[in-house]
Amino acid sequence: MEEAVMLAGKAIGAGLAMIGALGGGVGIGLAVGGAVQAMARNPDFSSTIQTNMILGVAFAEAVAIYALVVSLIILFVL
Amino acid sequence: MTFNWSGKRRWVALLLLIAGFVVMLTVPPVIPVIQLPGEVWPNGWMTNTLAASIIVWILLILLAFYTRGAMPKGSNEVPRGGFYNLFEMAFEGLYGFVRNITGERYLRYIFSFFMTIFLIVLLSNWIELIPGVDSVGFLHARAQSDPATGAVEVEEGFELNTVLPGVYALDPDCPWLSPEETAVMTVEARIAREQQNCATGTTRVIEGPEALVAGAEHELEPAADSESAEAGVEAAATEAAVAHEGAVTGDTEGAVEEGGRIDEAVEPDPEAAETGEPQEERLEAVHAPTGDPRVPWHIIPFLRAPSTDLNMTAALALIAVVMTQVLGFRALGIGYLTKFFNFRTLLTSPLGGIDVAVGLLELIGEFARILSFAFRLLGNIFAGSILLFVMSFLIPFLPWPFFILEFFVGIIQALVFALLTAIFMNLATASHHAEDEHGHAEEIPVEASAVGEMTPAHP
Amino acid sequence: MEGLGLNLGYLLVQIIAFIVIYTLLTRFLYDPLTNVLRDRRQRIQRGLEDAAAAANARRNAETEAEKILAAARAEAARVVEEARSRGEDVARSVETEARAEADRIREEGRVRANEERDRQLADLRGQVAGIASAMAQRLIGESLDQKRQQTLVNNFFTQMPANAKTLSGSVEVVSAMPLTDEEQARARRDLGAENVTFSVDPNILGGLILRSGDRVVDGSVRSGLSEMSGRLR
Repeated sequence: MEEAVMLAGKAIGAGLAMIGALGGGVGIGLAVGGAVQAMARNPDFSSTIQTNMILGVAFAEAVAIYALVVSLIILFVL
Repeated sequence: MTFNWSGKRRWVALLLLIAGFVVMLTVPPVIPVIQLPGEVWPNGWMTNTLAASIIVWILLILLAFYTRGAMPKGSNEVPRGGFYNLFEMAFEGLYGFVRNITGERYLRYIFSFFMTIFLIVLLSNWIELIPGVDSVGFLHARAQSDPATGAVEVEEGFELNTVLPGVYALDPDCPWLSPEETAVMTVEARIAREQQNCATGTTRVIEGPEALVAGAEHELEPAADSESAEAGVEAAATEAAVAHEGAVTGDTEGAVEEGGRIDEAVEPDPEAAETGEPQEERLEAVHAPTGDPRVPWHIIPFLRAPSTDLNMTAALALIAVVMTQVLGFRALGIGYLTKFFNFRTLLTSPLGGIDVAVGLLELIGEFARILSFAFRLLGNIFAGSILLFVMSFLIPFLPWPFFILEFFVGIIQALVFALLTAIFMNLATASHHAEDEHGHAEEIPVEASAVGEMTPAHP
Repeated sequence: MEGLGLNLGYLLVQIIAFIVIYTLLTRFLYDPLTNVLRDRRQRIQRGLEDAAAAANARRNAETEAEKILAAARAEAARVVEEARSRGEDVARSVETEARAEADRIREEGRVRANEERDRQLADLRGQVAGIASAMAQRLIGESLDQKRQQTLVNNFFTQMPANAKTLSGSVEVVSAMPLTDEEQARARRDLGAENVTFSVDPNILGGLILRSGDRVVDGSVRSGLSEMSGRLR
């Protein structure tokens, strides 16, 4: 019984932690949207824009990844 | 991009697809036990992530010597085709990429770190794509006995099916049941299990693991032990090769689950015994013959992607951040410290206090970068490998789109790790004073300045 | 940390391995490959420069060749022009020479034709005289002796007009028949003029016409006959 409660708590906690992925998703969407617009307007600078986009996406993704790591730790480590 | 569908290749692809189906049906996948630290091999110290790391290192050293051999010697020699040209093209592209970011001065230093990190992380990420990694490994009995009290701890696991002599697969239909669980089972469930041909939890009486621990006669002879171990590993290796072929068509990872032998586990530490350390907490693995249905089994994979081990990512993150500071000192001398401890304007400017605070924030940011680097890579690739075997379990016939996804995630994460290292290094070489005077000075190219503005918000 | 699997030993192994790999790769992979790429880039750069220089040289050579060609063309035109003018000169001189030669030959021919005619007329003279006397004999029934007849005929042809003495200077004597040397000498003597030329015109039938400048003394039979025919009418 105790274990079941603990498992439930873990599952709920991991699920809640993944809410943090929301921000990352929105951020990546905005970044890529902006980058695609910029590339469409100015195709000559595609490579530069793409580099910056990947970096920005990596940073935005990092937040979501932190949430993921927290939830993974809750599930598999705690 | 055009594919050449003529010729033998499509038949090979079709055959591999069919082989994948056959493997999926004969050795159905189970969800493995997920744990964050690398699983320890039966020899007691080697983890599967470290083993994969060693493979990565060997591959990189081979790459270095292969490339050195394939490199055009004279200025007029035409380079060899194939892999060397591909590598050279990628190398040249990345070299130009880094040069755009850093300029010429510290290019060699920064590029060496960039490229080494990139290659190591790339191979470490891609290892998860090889079928059999994460799914083929040693059999491990998930039961431990306390030598002091004799109490046995049993975890969850599966019973085994024999695929070939010495090669076993976990039976997804027969999760192992403890005697306590068997006691509370309904008759219908019991009959259903018996129809699945499972041993535990049926009307067949199974002795508890306690008896196993007590009886020394169940232990295998050492000679037979090593022999069976060799045979098992060999057979597992051939099976892994089969699985590897299947993977080219995007076949199920995690379909093949077998292993060689029982886990001999932790031997009593003689040193600890001599010094008289308390041994109450030490647990000893239960000795059981392979395939014994009285203990639950699971698999310690031979290999696991190194990027899913925090040791590897943290080591790379530490190196990246520390070498960034080293480069900072090399470029700016002791003046590099004023980036963090900026008391110059404390008394002359009304906003001097803010500079001090900003400097301290930068210092904290450097430490945050270690965590950021380490957990970004770990999280991405760990989540990716979980995704892969969960998908292999859920849709064993069609997991290959996720392999393609993870292929690109592997490249992107390697590139991001290496690129951020290069950019941070480049920022460390840029004089802080010059930045104050000219804003983001002319030496810093677009990417770096953009990131420079992003960094404070990043940690 | 234990739960995350972070372990100092594994961490150190990873770090040391990274340093080893870093050193090896930098030494045996990046530096040589960078050098190869740099060499290749330089070679390409040099090749491009060479090509540019070659193109430049070719352009220069082309303009040079153009110049030389233009000069040669001008020279050729000059030579041709010169040759043509010289040829024209030569042609012109040849033509003039030929024309002169032709004139000379024509003149010679004319002179010779005159001489021939004179000679034939001189031959004819005797016959004419013979025929004339025979006709007269028949007509008047009287036979003239040979001498008188000769004189008569001679007079017919060489009768100096009466007012011949009024002429002076250079005198041209036109006769119907060529005069013999003796008759010419007599005519000179009779005229007393210092410069006497003789010419023959059978149309005057007989007698002499004397011309000196714008003055003409007409003692020809033809004018006598035409005067007589005018009177008879």
